[in-house]
Amino acid sequence: MPTTITIDPVTRIEGHLEIEVTVDSVGGEQKVVDAKSAGTMFRGFEIILAGRDPRDAAQYTQRICGVCPVSHAMASCLNLDDAFGVTSPDNGRILRNLVLGSNFIQSHILHFYHLSVLDYVDTTGLLDMSPWTPRYVTPDMTTGPTAAALVSNYVTALALRRKAHQMGAIFGGKLPCTGSFVVGGCTEVVTAEKIADFRTLLTEIRAFIDNTYVPDAATLAGLFPSYYGIGTGCGNLLAFGAFDLDATGANMLFNRGRYTDGASHSVDPAQITEYVQYGWYTPASGNKNPAQGVTEPDADKLGAYSWLKAPRYADKVHETGPLARMWVNGEYVNGISTLDRIVARANETKLIADTMDSWLDELTPGAATCAPSTIPQQAASMGLTEAPRGALGHWMNIDGSVITRYQVVTPTNWNASPKDDLDQMGPIEAALLDVPVVDVTKPVEVLRVVHSFDPCLACAVHLTRPDDRAGGTRVLIHPGIL
Amino acid sequence: MRISRRDFLKAAAAVTAAGGLTPAVLAKLARILRGEGNPRVIWLQGAGCDGCAVSFLNSVHYATADDLLVNTLDVEFHNNLSAAAGDLAVSAVQAAGAQPGYVLVIEGAIPTGAAGKYCRLWPGTSMHDGVVQFAQNAGFIIALGACAAYGGTPAGAPNPTEAKGVGEILGSDPRLINVPGCPSHPDWLVGTIAYLLANGYAPPLDAHRRPLAYFGRLIHDNCFKRRRYCGQGVFASQLSDQGCMEFLGCKGKHTRSDCYMRKWNSGGDGEYGVNWCIGARSPCLGCVEPTFPDGMSPFYVHLPAEKQSEDGKSADQGQEGVSAPPTLRRPDARPSLKADDLRGALDAHDHHH
Repeated sequence: MPTTITIDPVTRIEGHLEIEVTVDSVGGEQKVVDAKSAGTMFRGFEIILAGRDPRDAAQYTQRICGVCPVSHAMASCLNLDDAFGVTSPDNGRILRNLVLGSNFIQSHILHFYHLSVLDYVDTTGLLDMSPWTPRYVTPDMTTGPTAAALVSNYVTALALRRKAHQMGAIFGGKLPCTGSFVVGGCTEVVTAEKIADFRTLLTEIRAFIDNTYVPDAATLAGLFPSYYGIGTGCGNLLAFGAFDLDATGANMLFNRGRYTDGASHSVDPAQITEYVQYGWYTPASGNKNPAQGVTEPDADKLGAYSWLKAPRYADKVHETGPLARMWVNGEYVNGISTLDRIVARANETKLIADTMDSWLDELTPGAATCAPSTIPQQAASMGLTEAPRGALGHWMNIDGSVITRYQVVTPTNWNASPKDDLDQMGPIEAALLDVPVVDVTKPVEVLRVVHSFDPCLACAVHLTRPDDRAGGTRVLIHPGIL
Repeated sequence: MRISRRDFLKAAAAVTAAGGLTPAVLAKLARILRGEGNPRVIWLQGAGCDGCAVSFLNSVHYATADDLLVNTLDVEFHNNLSAAAGDLAVSAVQAAGAQPGYVLVIEGAIPTGAAGKYCRLWPGTSMHDGVVQFAQNAGFIIALGACAAYGGTPAGAPNPTEAKGVGEILGSDPRLINVPGCPSHPDWLVGTIAYLLANGYAPPLDAHRRPLAYFGRLIHDNCFKRRRYCGQGVFASQLSDQGCMEFLGCKGKHTRSDCYMRKWNSGGDGEYGVNWCIGARSPCLGCVEPTFPDGMSPFYVHLPAEKQSEDGKSADQGQEGVSAPPTLRRPDARPSLKADDLRGALDAHDHHH
């Protein structure tokens, strides 16, 4: 007898998400046989951006997400650099990388300890207070000294992620939402004192990553080895790449690439298509590249269940995130699963933090951090980078020196997407298939898989579920979740 | 686990020092915190970005986030932190809301278009209806961040979802305190909660219902660049230059907050922050003002005359009768939550089994 479980709200994510799974007996075991990931959010950022001064885009788009604002600032600034025909001086490029790296570190620490670990640990006797009660307790959860150590590190990690933000603010002005990212570079300047302050914090954070975070991820993996076989999903990985290592844009710490049908390939953004058969949009809104995107809502569309479009690369479903970045760069190729996402994220944190130290040596105190530029009369531009949780793209058109069109495709657009026109499930949906669920009243197995993607539906405006929409909700143009 | 509240008491003392905090009031707060359980907080997120929640986690100046979460406050629902999900989480927050007297923290704007359907907290409850419902039993209501306070970026033209701030939903409500900013500074929130608990009433507010202790003074009047550059007629001509940034769009002449002193991303107990927007040579965006963002943008252009507020036209006119910002530095060092506490809890746990 199939049972449908709806988890709404999914907590311990950024923003809001509804997951619906159908569980049935398969070979004597209760497993997920169907899954729907409903991105049901709308704020209208692209509409708000139209008509504004293009230089303001880096500030407006940061307000899309308070957890990964620096990634939006980076995508937006790369987009603006492209449109304005300006290249940041090396100092500005490196400062952008250092602030972005700081935010990756805080986000990854936050994800592991504060969003994820509670799916695996019985905190009875350790955190017997709200907001950690009520909670699910299942027999497979870790108890005893390991649980105590992880909870203790949960608390320690709050301080370390704060320090990562403190570190980023040295060059970012403040975090969340940096003021210093602008077209042409970074407003903050480089001094020997700032470099030293940054390095002091980085050294402390690296020790935590090396001695606590990476070992804790390994501990978790050792305790739940079955999750190397659970939550595999589509098996294809996509990375736009991030952290430019020089002014050419061709060399990055994480290079652009994808892993499709078991082989590595290059990425051509023109191959991205967004489908809408299962999104509340008209057919005319589908089958388009984001650079030419059209979005006409149809809130009463039969068969649709999400306000996310379904972006696909060359018609193939792709997952994006730390595992994709590490995989396409040959840094982690163990496998694709719930635990592989968690372990790759920890390893990536170490890689970024270690590399940041060397970037500090490349800074030149006193040298320019920002190149002057002027607003073009017309432009069509693109900025691709990475958020902690995956590939992020901004597309823009300028006419009459103002923004006429701004499009954003976020990582969670890919990962939490609904089915496409070829009836292929989105990455999270596909990863939920065959997940064993022991107790349908405590669906922690589902949460473990969903959380491994670190979904970010922040900036969420939640629309109604289909059964709430009797009034026929009408939404203005918008492609996804912003 | 419910160990000493001394840290929060000290924070309250620091916050209220300038407001005439007496030993009797402090003693009352001590009694409250000692005897009647922890102050309760329900935190709802609407059309926002979670940035104010992340900023709250950066708290350290008055008290660290872990100290506040573990030892001081009962945060009965928080979408980013709650262990429970789905129905279990919803039943918990409904039960909490039935017990009057909590501090309701609202983050994110409230869309009113499409009968509130643009934003839903959980099945059957829109953000709008949730705010109205949970406001009923709230002791105090804090609209945290630009979006909750005044609509913020989601309410930027053409305001596609007809997003509004809490005050526009609830009307004139003496329990409402706006703690704006994009994001809001953690000290502004923690200090305001400390004041509420210490005194039992709202701190002195300005016409926009902002605590004067944090939002009482113009940035420009107190900016180091005013003394060093503006007064000398030195203006930055392009971004990243030295000099006053008024003509690069800095909104410091039209913005009241203590960023110039408090700064952002403090590194420790009682410490000021490491940097701030103007310190990083980027123009103030005016993010604490009710007119943010439309009235404060374009961000990199000198504010047009028609957008200038009365504040800006009379930049030297301070708020009469407003006491100086509270003393920020606390004299004694404070131990953070220790692993010993957790080990002790584990021992008790083992003993119990």
